[in-house]
Amino acid sequence: MTQPVLAVRDLSTHFFTDDGEVKAVRGVSFEVMPGETVGIVGESGCGKSVTAMSLLGLVQRPGKVVHGEIMFKGQDLLKLSNEELRHIRGRDIAMIFQDPLSSLNPVLRIGFQIDEAMRAHDKIPKEDISHRGIDLLKQVRVPDAAHRIKDFPHQFSGGMRQRAMIAMGLSNKPDLLIADEPTTALDVTVQAQILELLRDLNEQTGAAIILITHNLGIVAGLCKRVLVMYAGEIVEEGPVEQIFESPQHPYTWSLLRSVPRIDSNRQDRLLSIEGLPPDLIDLPVGCKFNPRCPFRIERCFSEPPVIEDVAHAQRAACWVTMTRAYDEMGAANITDTSPGAASGVHPQGRRPAADLAVAPAETLSD
Amino acid sequence: MSFVVFLGIHSLPGNTFVNERVRGASLALLLHEYGLDRPVLVQYWDFISHAVQGNFGVSIVNRGEPITPIVLRELSVSAELGGAALLLTIGMGVTFGVIAALRQNTWVDYSLTTFAIIGYSVPSFVIASLGVLIFGVWLFDVTGGAFYYPLTWDGTYGTVVELTVPAVALGLFTSSLVARITRASMLDVIHQDYVRTARAKGVKNRVVVVRHALRNALIPVTSVLGPLIISIITGSVVIENIFGIPGLGKEFINSILSHDYNVTVAVFTMYALLVGVANLAVDLAYTVIDPRIRY
Ligand SMILES: Nc1ncnc2c1ncn2[C@@H]1O[C@H](COP(=O)(O)OP(=O)(O)O)[C@@H](O)[C@H]1O
Ligand code: SF4
Ligand SMILES: [Mg+2]
Repeated sequence: MTQPVLAVRDLSTHFFTDDGEVKAVRGVSFEVMPGETVGIVGESGCGKSVTAMSLLGLVQRPGKVVHGEIMFKGQDLLKLSNEELRHIRGRDIAMIFQDPLSSLNPVLRIGFQIDEAMRAHDKIPKEDISHRGIDLLKQVRVPDAAHRIKDFPHQFSGGMRQRAMIAMGLSNKPDLLIADEPTTALDVTVQAQILELLRDLNEQTGAAIILITHNLGIVAGLCKRVLVMYAGEIVEEGPVEQIFESPQHPYTWSLLRSVPRIDSNRQDRLLSIEGLPPDLIDLPVGCKFNPRCPFRIERCFSEPPVIEDVAHAQRAACWVTMTRAYDEMGAANITDTSPGAASGVHPQGRRPAADLAVAPAETLSD
Repeated sequence: MSFVVFLGIHSLPGNTFVNERVRGASLALLLHEYGLDRPVLVQYWDFISHAVQGNFGVSIVNRGEPITPIVLRELSVSAELGGAALLLTIGMGVTFGVIAALRQNTWVDYSLTTFAIIGYSVPSFVIASLGVLIFGVWLFDVTGGAFYYPLTWDGTYGTVVELTVPAVALGLFTSSLVARITRASMLDVIHQDYVRTARAKGVKNRVVVVRHALRNALIPVTSVLGPLIISIITGSVVIENIFGIPGLGKEFINSILSHDYNVTVAVFTMYALLVGVANLAVDLAYTVIDPRIRY
């Protein structure tokens, strides 16, 4: 059996601020197989970026990885020294960011910035670096690459900048590319082009990709598997089609309901889910989704649900795990759930899915 | 510019020969010899037509002494002092600013910040006077009196303190300001996305700080460099007079007090030249440091 390229176990990252300890990422575990494309989705502020930054040791004060294990090629990245980790960054694991303009240094030429990524490591032979820069720009489909490589970032368009960032990320032939909201700052047609590029590069180079986005539609366009994050935890994970077809966590369900279509022009106006994500300093007891969940039961207020297998290759963290029937019956119930009803009514007074759902323990026993 | 100065100096009450108690016919003769009895506009034309050829005429006080070589020598003295102050401003200011930013909210940061606050709240003449007192009087035996620049000074400094103490007095204010601006701008830049990108690429921390952070942090510093250079030039007049350095600033005051019209105007012209060259250099530095700027 092939080994995962990355195995994260029980990762927790907190920010020690003046207002208190912001528990941004709590007990996150997941694996990425070689060449796999994995999406991480969730509302903004749910800890996606902090998770990604933790993987590369880029979390800055007052933030700190407080617990966990990040196994990459047989070593725990959290146990490495700064210098050892520096050799992994950009070489074996590369990362690209949301805003390609602010992510490129405005006073350095594009070509220099791409070459710099290669010079920082010894993976690419020195004599190959300069022409590899042009080849990379060609590979990410920047027209007239030989000339544009001498441009400064402000001379590039938004899409071209993100292509340059991707070229930079791929320059050392990494095993894993983390793309944090790579298309969010771009307009729709460019978004589609960048996604297509990432898809092609994944096939050509075999680099695994972690795609972070708040937009499930974008995940569908690139990823085979998806992790759904809520308030710093993974609440559901599984194959993309399966999750789209039968989400097993109420949060995933609400996300899907609000999914914007990538080809629609209101793509960035996410239909919001009622209520707000919890305060990461003072989290709710029990299930973190309970203030917003229309399916909550008494148990949701006392014990946090553990993520468990709920179907083949699919895991979810919910006491009231949903069955197929959820789609038809549960949907009707959610539609008439006003925010007031969701938060004001005593949990026992409202259990729309309780009798439809199979308790997780029973699901597991078969 | 030269016209305004010319008119200004000629409209001051009195004339060059007041101190010499020359009266009546001999005064008229002297005035006539130096062309000072002609209408001011005619005098101006006479001056400017020679000045464009690099000839500022002769001194009226030191009768017949040609001015151009004198002011050129004085210019080199002032430029040297100003250059040293500028070097200090940029070198010390940027270094301290960067260190304070990297050690934000530690005792290093606090002491550097306090030092900078003192640096730009104490007037330069106070620091200069202290410098004379300490190095010229108290440490007389060590420095040999230090600040003694003979009238026929050839521009070489006898001891190290002869240049550094006046340069520090002149540049402390501006370097404190630069330190403050650098610190603030480094703190801003260090949180920018492109610095994170550089880290994510696996670039060495030292390179991240210098090439990515500092390079960008210097842009706001460069933008105040023009005014800072003007401030150094202005300050040099005071400093040169306190230390008795025979530069343009000392000549400037002397020539005004003695109504040596041509010298005053020549000194002014040198200052204008200095300011012009400095501004050009700053603009050039600006285009080099920020490729987004195009003139
Ligand atoms: N520098 C910081 N200081 C304090 N809290 C932070 C900091 N960075 C992130 N956080 C907290 O971490 C949470 C998760 O942030 P992030 O991972 O950026 O969310 P997203 O899922 O949108 O990428 C945020 O809600 C925020 O409260
Ligand atoms: S049903 Fe309970 S456990 Fe499941 S998401 Fe809702 S509140 Fe959480
Ligand atoms: Mg984010």
